[in-house]
Amino acid sequence: MRRGMSIFTFGMIAALSLSTALYAQTAPPPPAQANAASKPGPAPVHDLTGVWMMHNPPGSNRGFTNYTFTKDPPELTPWGQAKYAEAKPSNGGQFTLQTTNDPVLTRCDPPGVPRVYFHPYPFEFVQTPKYILMLYEYDHIVRRIYTDGRPLPKDPDPLWMGTSVGHWEGDTTFVVDTVGFNDKTWLDRLGHPHTPDLHVTERFRRVDKDHLELDFILDDPKALAKPWTATFYYELRPNWELGEISCSGDYLDFKNFEGK
Amino acid sequence: MIVWMFGIVVLLGASSAALAHHGTAAYVTSSMVTVKGTMTDFRYINPHVQLYFDVKNDKGEVEKWQAELTAPNKLARAGWDKHTLQPGDTITATGYVAKDGAHTMWIRALIGPHGEPLRLSDE
Repeated sequence: MRRGMSIFTFGMIAALSLSTALYAQTAPPPPAQANAASKPGPAPVHDLTGVWMMHNPPGSNRGFTNYTFTKDPPELTPWGQAKYAEAKPSNGGQFTLQTTNDPVLTRCDPPGVPRVYFHPYPFEFVQTPKYILMLYEYDHIVRRIYTDGRPLPKDPDPLWMGTSVGHWEGDTTFVVDTVGFNDKTWLDRLGHPHTPDLHVTERFRRVDKDHLELDFILDDPKALAKPWTATFYYELRPNWELGEISCSGDYLDFKNFEGK
Repeated sequence: MIVWMFGIVVLLGASSAALAHHGTAAYVTSSMVTVKGTMTDFRYINPHVQLYFDVKNDKGEVEKWQAELTAPNKLARAGWDKHTLQPGDTITATGYVAKDGAHTMWIRALIGPHGEPLRLSDE
């Protein structure tokens, strides 16, 4: 929920009780934002440390970023089209929790890369001499991005979050290559498929102290007719700490969500 | 006491990701409802915080309502904890209700026991 969620414009208001419409008066704007970024400044050199939250540029209406990468769908291979036709996502509103086959919602499967970015929670970079840790608030997901110069594995084992290596380009761009996935995850929340041959490139461009732009290149010739590219936007949250949001029995207790 | 609001509801800048991990197919999202009730239970849990409260309808009957907020990690950053609401508290909740007619709400705005709007996000 973003600032302004509590600003409503109501049309017809019909009161079925003796009450006046007093309760229709919704909350005033929230108090000054505790998360307000600190003073603007240039990006530090080779440093992504901190908690980052998706933050689309002002004025943009990028609602699709809740579900998928781009407004226009990706170009799929025939295999990809057939696989995508099997997906029954709940997040677009077409399927309920009883009818979806979303692997995260129905089995608490790890989301994989890049789907982990569609959970509306922050992530944190922790830098060490040999690797950079990416801590995702959602379900305590951790990725190790090795920066010790090792190459990508040629014959990687299949993992939920893949195997990643990273390097700096210039002072402020960190490039991460990830391979070695299983084929159980979706690329996004609409159910676009991939194979174990998926190669994800993430280019984290820290454009200034408080802003990070993430360019994705999703390459998987068996599923995607051409690489799928997109850019997501993040903002530093200097006052935030990662909390706990855990996939668990409660997560899958659909009765909590669907009434009755 | 129930105030139903029909018709045009425009959310300026509202994010559809509020109910992020599961869909919105079960809710009527074209209009909002506001109810005033008395808390009977407050569960500060993953993945979505749950409110249970009694609402007196216009016939004087007590209806049992269940409603959910966003995730506790998000609410914590907006200042919440497990004691923010307690049984007996009076709350006024505005949000989307279940298509099937169940007294189930996805809360989008909430007035707390002291008449103050409660922040639902630090965003």
